[in-house]
Amino acid sequence: MPSIFDATTAVPEPTVRPLKVYAFDPSAGHLMGNIMSISLNYEKLAPGPVGKKLAVVDFDGSNNTYYEPVNLDDPRILIQGGIDPSESDPRFHQQMVYAIAAETLQRFETALGRHIHWRPGEPGANDGIPVLLLMPHAMYQANAFYSPTARGILFGYFRASTTQPGKNFPGQTIFTCLSHDIIAHEMTHAIIDGIRKYFTEPSNIDVPAFHEGFADIVALFRHFAHKEVLLDTLRKTGGRLFDDYEKPDASMGQRDDRRNGGTAQPVIEAQISQANPLIQLAQQFGQATGMRAGLRQALGTPPNSDDIKTKIEPHDRGSILVAAIFSAYFTIYVRRTENLFRIFRTGADIDDRQDLPGSLAEMLAAAASKTATDFFTVCARALDYCPPVDITFGDFLRALITAHYETDPADPENIRDAFMQSFRLRGIVAEGAKFFSEDALRWDAVRPNALKPITGLVFGDPNGLTKLEKDANGDILREYVRTNAKLLGFLMDQNGEDIEIPSFHPTFRIGPDGSLKIDMVVEAVQTRFAKLDDDNGSFPMRGGVTLIVTQQPLDDHDLRPPPKVRYVIHNQLSKEREQKQRMHYFAHGYVKHFHGDEAGHHGHGDGHGHGKGAGDDDDEARFQINFGLIHGGL
Amino acid sequence: MAAKKAKRAAKKRAPKKRAAVKKRAATKKRAAPKKRTTKGKTKPRKGSSTSPTNGASSTGSPGTGSSTTPADGTVGPSGIRIRMYRVGFGDFFLLSLKTPAGDLKHILIDCGVHAGDIGTISDAVAHMATVTNNNLSLLIMTHRHADHISGFAKCKDVFSQFNVEQVWMSWFENPDDPVAVKYQNGMAMVAQQLTMALAARSSPADKELKFMAENITGEPMALSDGGGGSNAVALKVLHGGFKNAAPVAYYKAGDPPTLPKDLLDAGLTAQILGPPHDLDLIKQMDGKNEEYLAGNDPAVAAKIEPFDKVFRLKGSDYPKEAFHDYGRKDVEKGVSDAQPDMLAARARQADNTLNNQSLVVLFSFHGKQLLFAGDAQWGNWENFLYGSKVGVGPNKLTDTSKKILASLDFYKVGHHGSTNATPKDALAAMREGVVAMVSTEPGYYGKEKSGTEVPRIPLLAAIEKQTDDQLARSDQIKVGDVEASAGLDAPGKPFSTADGYIDYNL
Repeated sequence: MPSIFDATTAVPEPTVRPLKVYAFDPSAGHLMGNIMSISLNYEKLAPGPVGKKLAVVDFDGSNNTYYEPVNLDDPRILIQGGIDPSESDPRFHQQMVYAIAAETLQRFETALGRHIHWRPGEPGANDGIPVLLLMPHAMYQANAFYSPTARGILFGYFRASTTQPGKNFPGQTIFTCLSHDIIAHEMTHAIIDGIRKYFTEPSNIDVPAFHEGFADIVALFRHFAHKEVLLDTLRKTGGRLFDDYEKPDASMGQRDDRRNGGTAQPVIEAQISQANPLIQLAQQFGQATGMRAGLRQALGTPPNSDDIKTKIEPHDRGSILVAAIFSAYFTIYVRRTENLFRIFRTGADIDDRQDLPGSLAEMLAAAASKTATDFFTVCARALDYCPPVDITFGDFLRALITAHYETDPADPENIRDAFMQSFRLRGIVAEGAKFFSEDALRWDAVRPNALKPITGLVFGDPNGLTKLEKDANGDILREYVRTNAKLLGFLMDQNGEDIEIPSFHPTFRIGPDGSLKIDMVVEAVQTRFAKLDDDNGSFPMRGGVTLIVTQQPLDDHDLRPPPKVRYVIHNQLSKEREQKQRMHYFAHGYVKHFHGDEAGHHGHGDGHGHGKGAGDDDDEARFQINFGLIHGGL
Repeated sequence: MAAKKAKRAAKKRAPKKRAAVKKRAATKKRAAPKKRTTKGKTKPRKGSSTSPTNGASSTGSPGTGSSTTPADGTVGPSGIRIRMYRVGFGDFFLLSLKTPAGDLKHILIDCGVHAGDIGTISDAVAHMATVTNNNLSLLIMTHRHADHISGFAKCKDVFSQFNVEQVWMSWFENPDDPVAVKYQNGMAMVAQQLTMALAARSSPADKELKFMAENITGEPMALSDGGGGSNAVALKVLHGGFKNAAPVAYYKAGDPPTLPKDLLDAGLTAQILGPPHDLDLIKQMDGKNEEYLAGNDPAVAAKIEPFDKVFRLKGSDYPKEAFHDYGRKDVEKGVSDAQPDMLAARARQADNTLNNQSLVVLFSFHGKQLLFAGDAQWGNWENFLYGSKVGVGPNKLTDTSKKILASLDFYKVGHHGSTNATPKDALAAMREGVVAMVSTEPGYYGKEKSGTEVPRIPLLAAIEKQTDDQLARSDQIKVGDVEASAGLDAPGKPFSTADGYIDYNL
């Protein structure tokens, strides 16, 4: 027996750390499995908790004080799997914020197949955000937002109205940091800001809506992924699930839907019925967490293609995206569970049973939870397939279709079709796609050999790249993009010297068949300042491409060919885009205003720089989404 | 900086003649506003505010008399006269039309002043009463901001002697429309709370925010002897405070309006171009108002300490590693820098929303097209201009809007000459040589340094260009002992002036 197998007294490093949190928020009490324990990848934590990427700093700006930080490594806390939920102990608040933030981050990292970094710094300007700060009680305000200025997420606390307290006790203190959804939502903003440098420029009407919608999608899918919570509710509502979906996959056309009053609307999706318990569940989740009425409504009403033309407030418009994604989710869930119902029906030989047997509920919950994880994964991966600037809902649809195709080209369950139909019914079209078919919606693949391979690019492994490797990659990519600038569609007046590479990320992803796919996602961006008009200064106008670069298999001579560019997802500079953006900035108040001494933005709340005035005409800061204003209900 | 650039650009493209005019009206450097509240105010002459017949002489002026007074029966060759009274920062327009029989029919469009009140509105109303002989064929209230309606409250006794054949308002004012009523009530409550909340703030920028909030209710200004009574009083007058029971009609974009018979017989037609009937927007604002009101419950407004004192810790005792490399002071500063000024944003939004309720009317008389746009901003204009919201449609001017704008003979400049009320597309599509008027008073809103001054100098320069220098602004003339704004000459052709008002006859 070699000595490497000798017994040892050293305690192995733990792999996970369990922590208790509210599944919703304190007001949901103990209903629906509201108190749950989540398991995080273990990392050593200093009091705060302070970890490698996340640091809880409990500073209260309104009271100008700090609150005692929790030491999660204290044995007395460790032994009970974290502090028990309590509204009056700030240390539980710190624990919950850390736990859900870390879990959200973990899920993104798993889905994307790489480590996530926060907003990178600008050489000479600032050092970015190496560690994201979480401030559970930053201010006395009914608001919570991610702010690059504060290098983190600020959660507010406030008192419930004495006259319209809603589900709360009149006048009680409400902590936004105790809402599971709010934490997941804000984390999503921070994560996207870290992935895409220019996504926070509100260059078209869809941009702020995309942020809000995507963050809600993440928060909702998290609920669906937690099987225990799901199970509880499915048991309560399950009977009707069986009753409703004898033909779960209703096709286009007229369906006699008794519960919709037999309306003859095209109902392609099973999920629009009010009686779908998953819809109800989503709405209950919404209600339980004080989710906005707009989202609840979007989930519960038949799709229409007018909303996309009329809804411009970020949350309302974002709800359209949420509803489109969830429609597809419900369609797939129903398809996946159809057989379970068939079996159940055969055995039970009556059609209108109200009870759902425990084991069936269990299987349904498992299917719903797995489907939720699948969908979250494809949504997160789609981020990598978006153009680097000026995102629209249509772009996101194309990114979804492409991202899904890349991991599962065969698509036996027609998931891509489900996405396409649910987007189409909501009037979301992809500009630039000639047809509404899968082929046309998928980003065009680069013609073989049309672009030279990128020699020397280092992909590393899932542990990340060293600084040396990163520097080398950066040089290679800059050189490559400049040399091929014309083919990639960049403006050539500066010979490509003005193209920057805001990011490149090697990704390591597991496909449904278990195969490992290794790609690199590269952003390349060109910036011009365009005049708003004679007296409103200028705005940053950006164009660029996202390159998907892929490692090649060994060739016949047992050599490794250089990696090839497979997709060039482009949104380049053009006069047309410039004019569109200019008009958008005018109409939505990004210009200097009457009554506006600062960068006076009114209306839709997606403006107003980071506290800088409009005095400087070319101040880019006024073209940044301010989540503080949006989340404050403006 | 930007303004200077615009000036340079304007000079470059303008021939000498134009440059001279420019000096007169728009780009002349503005002097600091005079303290009119104490010194420059005209004393209303005895009885003039209550008894129009005792006021100014029948062909005189609201001021102290003038040699350039146009004869009051005068209209242009097309039988039209547009009169703009100088009241300060507000709107007061009288449109007079000649009937085939040769007499004049009158349309009053707004009557109010708020910030920048120069104390002349009572005299102006008295003058108007004389001119119209207390008869209005049509009265239009574009929207319920104090700077458009305060005159009705302040001079309610004068208006109680008026016969008004027809009143037009936007659909937002319809007392039988529960959506509109709920909406307006919510707005008023929000405005009151904003006023209270802003009372504790005192920077120059905050003064403007206060104006905005008060403009919605009209109330605090009434107390401080500003433009006159509250908006509630003014609305009461408009809804039944005249000598006769004047019928009120409520319109939205696209409605075919009903004109009184005498105007119809005279040959007038009208189209309603705004505001659109946007229930989505209403719902959205409604929800926000509710949220806001709930969040500003006075009983819970006071600061709270969320936790027991035992949990408190001094910054110096907090573990240093939590601040990473940022440093504690930097982290604390980041928190305060990141706080959005919700109050300011809310006040601006409320102001914006109300302006977008403006009834936008296009008159057509003997082939002449006159556009009165109230204070409509983008949210109102976009429906007319593009047929959709900006950002979701093709956003090209519709054929109808192009046709209308290209045929305009007169344009009442929106929102006292602020940048957000005259979209560039609209201005560029207007007929070259269109005549424009703007009622304004400098020095109350915005700062020239930050490019937000009202009236906006480069915007007025652009309008002058489009109008071939046929733009008149109300403060180009004196009224009583209030002088014209510093550096401005009286308007030239095609306008005629009197003490207190400017006429355009066409």
